[in-house]
Amino acid sequence: MASAPPLYRIEGLTKVYGEGDTAIAALRGVDLDVPASAMVVLLGPSGSGKSTFLNIVGGLDRATEGHVHFEELQLTELDDDGLTEYRRQHVGFVFQFYNLVASLTARENVALITEIAENPMDPAEALALVGLEARIDHFPTQLSGGEQQRVAIARAIAKRPKVLLCDEPTGALDSQTGVRVLEALDQVNRELGTTTLLITHNVVIAEMADHVLRFADGRLADSRPNPKRRKPGDMQW
Amino acid sequence: MVAALSPLDRKVLRDLWRMRSQAFAIALVIAAGVGMVVMSLGMMRSLEATRDAYYDRYRFADVFAPAKRVPQSMLAQIRHLPGVALAEGRISSGATLDVPGIAEPITARVHSLPPHGEPRLNALALRSGRWPEPGRPDEVLVSEQFAKGAKIELGDGIDALLYGKRQHLRVVGTALSPEYVYALGAGQIFPDNRRFGVLWMGEEHLAAALDLTDSYNEFLVRLQGNASSDEVIRRLDTLLARYGGISAYPRSEQISDRFVSNELRQLREMTGILPPIFLGVAAFLINMVLSRLIDAEHDVIGLLMAFGYRGNAIMLHYAKIAVALSIPGLLLGIALGTWLGRGIASLYQDFFVFPFLTYRADLDVYAIASLVTLAVVLLGVFQSVRRVRRMTPVDAMRPPLPPDYSGGIARLIRRLRWLDEPTRIILRGIVRRPFRSLLGSMGVAAALGLYITSAGSTDNVALMINILFDQSNRADVMVTFAEPRDERALFELARAPGVWRVEPLRFVGAKLTGGRSSKSEGLTAASPGSDLNRLVDIMGAVVEPPPRGVLISYGLSNQLGLVAGDRIDVQITQGRRQRFELPVAGVIKSAVGSPAYIDSGDIARKLGESPLVSGAYLGVDPARTDELYRYLKKTPVIAGVTLRSAAIRGFDETLAETMGIITLFNTGFSALIVFGVIYNNARISLAERARDLASLRVLGYRRSEVSYILLGELALIVIAGLPLGIAFGFWLSHWLSSSMGGDLFIIPFGLAASTIAKAVLIVLFAALVSALFVRRRLDRLDLVGVLKTRE
Repeated sequence: MASAPPLYRIEGLTKVYGEGDTAIAALRGVDLDVPASAMVVLLGPSGSGKSTFLNIVGGLDRATEGHVHFEELQLTELDDDGLTEYRRQHVGFVFQFYNLVASLTARENVALITEIAENPMDPAEALALVGLEARIDHFPTQLSGGEQQRVAIARAIAKRPKVLLCDEPTGALDSQTGVRVLEALDQVNRELGTTTLLITHNVVIAEMADHVLRFADGRLADSRPNPKRRKPGDMQW
Repeated sequence: MVAALSPLDRKVLRDLWRMRSQAFAIALVIAAGVGMVVMSLGMMRSLEATRDAYYDRYRFADVFAPAKRVPQSMLAQIRHLPGVALAEGRISSGATLDVPGIAEPITARVHSLPPHGEPRLNALALRSGRWPEPGRPDEVLVSEQFAKGAKIELGDGIDALLYGKRQHLRVVGTALSPEYVYALGAGQIFPDNRRFGVLWMGEEHLAAALDLTDSYNEFLVRLQGNASSDEVIRRLDTLLARYGGISAYPRSEQISDRFVSNELRQLREMTGILPPIFLGVAAFLINMVLSRLIDAEHDVIGLLMAFGYRGNAIMLHYAKIAVALSIPGLLLGIALGTWLGRGIASLYQDFFVFPFLTYRADLDVYAIASLVTLAVVLLGVFQSVRRVRRMTPVDAMRPPLPPDYSGGIARLIRRLRWLDEPTRIILRGIVRRPFRSLLGSMGVAAALGLYITSAGSTDNVALMINILFDQSNRADVMVTFAEPRDERALFELARAPGVWRVEPLRFVGAKLTGGRSSKSEGLTAASPGSDLNRLVDIMGAVVEPPPRGVLISYGLSNQLGLVAGDRIDVQITQGRRQRFELPVAGVIKSAVGSPAYIDSGDIARKLGESPLVSGAYLGVDPARTDELYRYLKKTPVIAGVTLRSAAIRGFDETLAETMGIITLFNTGFSALIVFGVIYNNARISLAERARDLASLRVLGYRRSEVSYILLGELALIVIAGLPLGIAFGFWLSHWLSSSMGGDLFIIPFGLAASTIAKAVLIVLFAALVSALFVRRRLDRLDLVGVLKTRE
């Protein structure tokens, strides 16, 4: 995909759920290099394997076959505790439904992560980065969906992760709010150089990527660079 | 079979399977509540039914009329008294026995058997051997419990000291009598089957030994159905006055029946207090658990509403789940309770001797326990489903808005900068739903309180032993004389082998009358400065006898309706039968009996006699007891000997043991409740927090770190429940001990700190085990699921 040393080197990644006759192959031998600092968008219909791919790369699930190299780490060799440490140190997650802790304010939700990180930002700084400096002491219930998702992004990036994994981050949002969330992700990627993998059903969003991966039937059907990366503000759907 | 089920019914089965471990904990709690009710009621009713059947079948007398010597011809007159259905004369006497193999002298009660055969009143259940034959004056029956206690076999010889004369007797059979369900010798408060026995022998021979030929010294009367015992007693007293009638008394004052009835009354009171509390607590917990389970199903309910299911169908669906959850516990509780109730009722055979046991497990007991459980469970379902049904289907299906944590205390928590975020999550979770957190703590408190109360009864018994035997009755040996003797008798005893201290024992038979009623109780003379027999109240305080007037027990003060300062009418029922009034100098809460104490000098003045003694309290050198026993066996004037060590053993082996076993089961039941409550709390918290915790795991939190959030909340709820539970347990045991007092016992309140500590440890242990169970589930959180699913 790129000539710079890749952040991830993925070889023959295969995931099979179940056994025997009932076995279902979710991934069928995916080979891929992900360059550092790239904005990568993953497209594909439901059941195409993109979420399974993201889960394995994020250290949430294990491969049946194949290898995932992350810098010096061999993710496919790690046990549960090893995967926890990998996520803790290197990975930021943004969920479709935000998954904020309702009993914590915006600042405290971010602090939840900075407390366990080695070299974190100040929670206020992370929230400023996503434009929420004014809402810092609000509880989730006092925030709109878009604001909640931006808190989630601040929470994900506050520990300065090497990689940010976003599964349908705008899936639950209207387009205007969605754009604001994507702007925040775009800004993080440009300013901090955080490698970002973003799953979406929305083809338009692929325009903000450096690379677009298209999954189909458990395989990587297409992998192409996007020479004209656009700003989320210029996109419309 | 399964194919025929509707989809909702299949959901019932699958939900039950999914909740199986919680269902198990729920079943334990219900089983404990139901089991306790069934056990206690079954045991109590069985004992009552057994007593009633025994009294009825063996024609236990309604009225007892003792006298000195009454010509047999009087019996015809007594039979003709209005209200008398059946009357029988007999001869009764105290005796001391010398049984081979037993060092100490044994106190016995001897009754005559009518010449024509078996007694018609107070009939005997022959347990082994045969009846004495008319021509064989030495043949006797002995009470079965005594034969066992003193290891007497059929054919064994016994030497009896009757009226100062030594008689050689031979045991030909063993028997039980309704008169001795609770067999007590003179001065005993607990059955001692080794040192107290009952003998039945031919009337002619006993009369000859006691110099009572052609006479009786006691009449037994069975009343006609509607006759008043007071009226018959009055007539008997009039009739027997010139024959030394000592004052007839009704069955309720007969010593064995008093103890049996008192114990059954206490059992009934206990059954009325503790088991309903158990069932109530269990029901409360189940209600709490079910409401939270159903609240968690709000989206399913919304979906069913959207599909067009009617409210009643949804209600029925959850009612089925709730009932199915209750049934295993209900069945387990009924089975366990029945089994234990029967077992404990038969255990009472050590304590109360019945020739048979009628086990009564009435349907209503099962019905009450089942209906209460189901009603409370269904109420919980009804409340929760109704809450969900008030929403529109869309509202119900939509994830609830993030709960609002911006309230006052939450803001305060925000200011506490030094708190870490997981701790904030714990604190806000508790603060946001203070009522529910409080309910959780109250559940723990209720379970802990029940445990403390159950286990605390052992402490009360221990305190009772301490008060009775260490502080009050400290004489190693108590002897009673056949007749009151002058004080010089004490000097003789002081010279007996091994005796290092002698104190007088003086008891005067009397009928005491107050404003409300009268009672044959007798006056116990007390001397100031006594060391071997002190007046001690249930708080353990030593009370000095008042110089003038009478000190009455709390039980007596209640029965007679007298308080300090009132006057009490005293009719002496022996000797010259003086009658006089005494002021009530005070009321003492004594642990056992309902005594009335008077200063020994005061009573001597009232009776116009030089001080007499009915017996003596002895301090004895333990190394020389056998020597003393040999001496006492040879001393004709001694009618009874009571040993402190034997009384303690009797107490330990009967009351303490029985109570200990009941306590063990109660404690077991409360431990089940403790565990059930805490485990369910933990499981529900896990269900509610699962999403947050899984998100944190995705974000890189370690297992130990997410465990802290979940278990920290559980720990706080449990810890908050501890002081509440200690207070509840303290209050409940105090209330229980004070409300269980009868006229024979007052249960002192002796809850020990160690019991509380043990109860707290058990709660903490249950919490730890629950935490470990839940911790294992934390390892299986669905990390991938939370990425995709909304709340």
